[in-house]
Amino acid sequence: MRRGFPVLAALALALCLLLALSAGESWIPPSGIWAALARFDETRQADVIVIYQRLPRALIAMLAGAALSMSGAVLQGVLRNPLASPSLVGINAGAALAVVAGAFLLGLEPRAQGSAALAGGGLGFLASLGVARLAGHAHDPRGLALILSGAIVSMFLGGLTQALLLSDPALRQDYLGWLGGNVSHVHAERLADFWWLAALGMAAMLLLARRLSLLALGAEKAASLGIDVARTQLLALGAAVLASASAVAICGPLGFLGLVVPHLVRPLTGARFGALLPGCALAGACLCLLADLIARMALAPLALHTGVVLELLGGIAFMLMVRRFYLRGAEA
Amino acid sequence: MSSRALDGRRVLRLPGGMQIGLANLAAALALTLASLGLGAVSLSWGETRLDLLAPLDADQAFALYQVRLPRLLLGFMAGWSVALAGAMLQSLARNPLADPSLLGLSQGAMVAIMVLTVLAPGLPPAWLPVAALLGGLAVAALLLALVRGHAGGLAVLLMGIALESTLSAVTAVLVLYTPPETSHALAGWMAGSLALADWPRVTMLAPWFAASPIAILLLGRALRLIDLGAPMAMALGLDAARTRVAVLIVAVLLSSAALTAVGPLMFLGVMAPQLAAALSPASGRARLVLAALTGGLLVTAADMLARNAGTDIGLPVGLVLVTLGAPLFVLAMRMRLFLRMSSS
Repeated sequence: MRRGFPVLAALALALCLLLALSAGESWIPPSGIWAALARFDETRQADVIVIYQRLPRALIAMLAGAALSMSGAVLQGVLRNPLASPSLVGINAGAALAVVAGAFLLGLEPRAQGSAALAGGGLGFLASLGVARLAGHAHDPRGLALILSGAIVSMFLGGLTQALLLSDPALRQDYLGWLGGNVSHVHAERLADFWWLAALGMAAMLLLARRLSLLALGAEKAASLGIDVARTQLLALGAAVLASASAVAICGPLGFLGLVVPHLVRPLTGARFGALLPGCALAGACLCLLADLIARMALAPLALHTGVVLELLGGIAFMLMVRRFYLRGAEA
Repeated sequence: MSSRALDGRRVLRLPGGMQIGLANLAAALALTLASLGLGAVSLSWGETRLDLLAPLDADQAFALYQVRLPRLLLGFMAGWSVALAGAMLQSLARNPLADPSLLGLSQGAMVAIMVLTVLAPGLPPAWLPVAALLGGLAVAALLLALVRGHAGGLAVLLMGIALESTLSAVTAVLVLYTPPETSHALAGWMAGSLALADWPRVTMLAPWFAASPIAILLLGRALRLIDLGAPMAMALGLDAARTRVAVLIVAVLLSSAALTAVGPLMFLGVMAPQLAAALSPASGRARLVLAALTGGLLVTAADMLARNAGTDIGLPVGLVLVTLGAPLFVLAMRMRLFLRMSSS
């Protein structure tokens, strides 16, 4: 299973992509998709739908899914916390606030919002760490305090974001959809602006994979093997923030993936980051495509936000994980 | 009140909490006067106090009796209720970060209200508080069922956060189904606003507010025992399971009533007890009263700022509260940490 996993995951992703391009309001057969890709003709309606609507949408979903899932795996590894993920440690909320604040208060161009998201994601993460230290659970080996502080910080940042949204009704309409985690072709320009930031973060995480695997053995052991522990941790966290914040900059905050995908993939690939991270990227992209499909089809003609579907699934998965990691066999 | 000094004489000594309580009351009075006086139609100090002696013109009377007074009362009562619920839940979870909105109780009430608004738009508003209470209680029951047999506070909180995020997604789906005109009103309410304050809302919340001292009296001692730790509480004869259920129900009642009246006051349930605790090391009933009083004052102050923020429509009070509260909260946490370290 372990050897075949990459191949299987890649196949599954290809299948999901095909489905995402075909399914929708009108069914476009694979031959139609091929025709649109090979000989694009603006007068044919099917071609326009594939190229201008479904393809950008699918690309956004895949990029965001991969970036958030990989970040989740890295956060869980470095923080040694099975619940760590971009949406639970304040990164998503911080990045979202920074994008909205940049647009509303400073009138930032969409291009500049990428760096705003990055700064905001980093600050949100630091704030969560800070509150966790303040809340001060000295004997908290399982790192619950961090998740709790992350929730508090996210609530606070979300409140600020809502305040900003209320302050300007004209801009509000533009950002309300984005804020709900909206994978949509409307955000194709954002994809063009920020994809390379997300790619940079993901590449950095992959480069750090070997060192992260050694780090998982324990800080002392890793240090004795010649790893600069503090630097590796800092770089890895930075890369995770970079990847997830740029995903947020593209399509708004998406939950669930960063939390759940690593737990789904780990039993199949093993805990070594060299195999885990690519596995997470593939599986995350797959799941995000599927969630997007559900969002489009479930209540058609009403389209749900992909973020809402993911949050719904994520809440349920979160409950199951709390039961698994913290309730079963836990002390009172 | 009185205790013996070293040489045996009786001296009057106020408990630590009492002084803070008095200071709080003074602040409450000052705030009341200021918040009645400030606003689009300004009233002088004399007019707010002595309007019985000097008759007001129609504008001023309307501003005072129909707008500011109900708003002031509603804000104070809602803040009181939410902060009290937060303080109780924090004892229960043995964690300073517990809060009705973090545990999903508020979201349960919110979903219930929204379902009712969407499915039965013609229903008289008197049913909304009932729906909110049922929604909150349902989530509390679900929470207890999910963590059954595990008293560990942090796990309960995590489960609450999980419930909260699921229910938030449900709210988001429901918003899609609300017709535009209701969804606009809902959006304002969901941000936590006192702009809709009127006398019917005041009378709706008043009974719960009036009943809260009874809850403090009945549960204060039990909560203090819980604060001492589960083994100690059991050794002192506390039925932990029953207390937990009772506290949870009271917290749900208080927070759902406040939620129906003014929308969610996020963060207040964490912030107010934390501030109160930083100001005074009270425990038991005194702690609850102080936390509740602080909550009421915070909302009053935040609303005064929100009304006079300089925009035409003013800001929702919930947002002002969150913005101002966070730095205060961090400060309070730091102070407590500092006190703990210097005392041990």
